[in-house]
Amino acid sequence: MTALYVLDVPENTPLAKVAAEDPEVSVGRIGPYFEITATGPIVIDRRATGCRHAVWYSSVAGVAPGSRIVQHDKNALRVEPVTEPA
Amino acid sequence: MTDQDHRAKGVDHAAFPTFDPAGTVRFYRDVLGFPVVHSICAAGWGPENHPDFIHFFFDIGNDDRIAFFYYFGAKPYSDSDRGDAYASFGPEVPEYFIRSRHLAIHVDNYEDLMEYRRRLDDSQWPVEMQIQHETIESIYTHDPNGYMIEFTMALRPVTPQEDLDATLTIDALLDVVAEPDPTFGKLLARKAELIVQRAADWELAQAETAQP
Repeated sequence: MTALYVLDVPENTPLAKVAAEDPEVSVGRIGPYFEITATGPIVIDRRATGCRHAVWYSSVAGVAPGSRIVQHDKNALRVEPVTEPA
Repeated sequence: MTDQDHRAKGVDHAAFPTFDPAGTVRFYRDVLGFPVVHSICAAGWGPENHPDFIHFFFDIGNDDRIAFFYYFGAKPYSDSDRGDAYASFGPEVPEYFIRSRHLAIHVDNYEDLMEYRRRLDDSQWPVEMQIQHETIESIYTHDPNGYMIEFTMALRPVTPQEDLDATLTIDALLDVVAEPDPTFGKLLARKAELIVQRAADWELAQAETAQP
């Protein structure tokens, strides 16, 4: 399970909208946060969100234990389930 | 959380040393148009090596002030060009760190921000950067003493949920720095736990407060 939290403020709403376009990803809410979840990876394309860099790089509020960010650059944000080494 | 009442009333003054009082007055009074509102001419007293000095103040709006000390006879304590009149840095100190400390002066709107941009650009201290941050837009320059000065305006009002988010960030940060090897990843993991514990209740409490 992968879970990512993003604060619901005007700058961040495109990010939740783009995330929700993936049928494998669910976007719910917990208080004023978007709770973005998936059984596998969550991938959000920065250009599709239209977020400028200052917004993009400060948009993540929390990453649930059991998930981790493996990519957060000018192209994309990618969060994956943590896989324990065999 | 703090339940203590909040009695402070903003910045009375922030004080900095200067070796260039003429440039400082040109920059703050003549270029920016900040009135001189107070000064103290003091013969050195107290510690034996304390020089005679002038302590002078400019109004930065809202009755807040920026103040300078000019010490007669004092010369810059460093000839390094990395840093400012107060402190200089060697080559081992990265640029991001040197550029971290600054004073940001608030303006109400874009028109006012551009007015200060015009005043600076017409002077020998032109704007070095104009940046749209997350929720503010700012211009930056360095004053004649090397101090970084920012003018900033809000792009929108701060929302209540941003105060909650700031509270959760700080609580997560305190938890993470209490353990060895704090990282951004550990902070985001701890903050996710706090969001799950507290965000839904916060929203309910907000809704109750909003009811007539």
